[in-house]
Amino acid sequence: MELSESVMKGLQTLADPNVFDLKSYTIFTELVFDSLVSPRCESVLGHPELKYIDQTTLKHCHTAATTFILEGVKQNADKSTISSCLEDARFQIERVDLLYTSLQKNKTNLEYLLSSIDTCPPHITDAAWRLEYCIKNSHLHKVNQPSYLISLNTERGGASSEINFSCTMEQLQDLVGKMKDAAKSLERASQS
Amino acid sequence: MLLVLSEEHKEHLGFLSEVDSAVVGEFGRIAVEFLKKGSNPKIFEGAARKLSVPAESVQHGVEGLMYLLTESAKLMVSEGDFQDSVLVLGFSEELNQLLLQLYLENRKEIRQILGKLAPSLPHYHNLEWRLDVQLSSRALRQQLKPSVTLKLVLEDGPSLRARVLQTDPSTLQHLIQELERALAELKSSHCRRVLRNIK
Repeated sequence: MELSESVMKGLQTLADPNVFDLKSYTIFTELVFDSLVSPRCESVLGHPELKYIDQTTLKHCHTAATTFILEGVKQNADKSTISSCLEDARFQIERVDLLYTSLQKNKTNLEYLLSSIDTCPPHITDAAWRLEYCIKNSHLHKVNQPSYLISLNTERGGASSEINFSCTMEQLQDLVGKMKDAAKSLERASQS
Repeated sequence: MLLVLSEEHKEHLGFLSEVDSAVVGEFGRIAVEFLKKGSNPKIFEGAARKLSVPAESVQHGVEGLMYLLTESAKLMVSEGDFQDSVLVLGFSEELNQLLLQLYLENRKEIRQILGKLAPSLPHYHNLEWRLDVQLSSRALRQQLKPSVTLKLVLEDGPSLRARVLQTDPSTLQHLIQELERALAELKSSHCRRVLRNIK
């Protein structure tokens, strides 16, 4: 795992028992993970148990630790990679284990977080429909045709929008038929 | 349902009784052509010169036919009602039959043209799909994320517009179920009753 000099320095400070005793280290790492997975959690700055540490140092260590964690998750680093990296920063075995355990515990959430940072077309989340029977309009009487109004809910980058269109029964059958083809292929692909 | 013709309309159509039935047949053909492809005023002048009548009379005759055909098609006037409706024009039996044939032969197509004028939302045209498995991204390596990319083509007036969308396998299943429910609803007794009674 390649880490910048600033991150390495921050990790070294975090490993230093003279700056973080074991209790502060445990609280600190927990807060770091919380800050990543739940956006509205307590900050490491101003935490009563960490008050005695210089706030600039605390900020530097926080940046270093989050960078390290995110980089590890991004690359799906195994235990030996994580350990050797932390040992390079002079972490004691006990501290390595503590961090690794928390990392395992939060890994799924962190992966979910990172996979959401992505550019992709609008994602369909749901579909709503309405069935109508057109009787007449200003240009044509006795139309007497059923028609559907379909509304696809989509999401992109946290913003949701809708795509509305109408279709006849035959067109809706065509649409569903093609979606079923896709679903069948998906099923076959997952079995092979 | 009988067609109610205005005095002005009757006057315009009156010109048809003054010309040969072959000419009326030709006018009918032009009227239908104009309905399909839009009108072309140059034709009026040419025809007027040949018949040595004012171009205005030809224009009124053809436009009168176009109006007669669109109104009858719009209201879906029956064969008998059409015959009764044109009776007030006082045309010969031959001319009436000619108009009836013109109407019956073109009714379906004229209704289709009129149907396109109705206000409507973008219409479904086609759907293309592709299966993808996302393997890696800038923010996260070593992924295995199946996804379905859908290209939905919608018809909006004269133009086709494609929208590229994506969804995951379980949402795709949900979409299929939901839309199948929509299709099944059309076969429900409630819908069938309404469809049967509004004819």
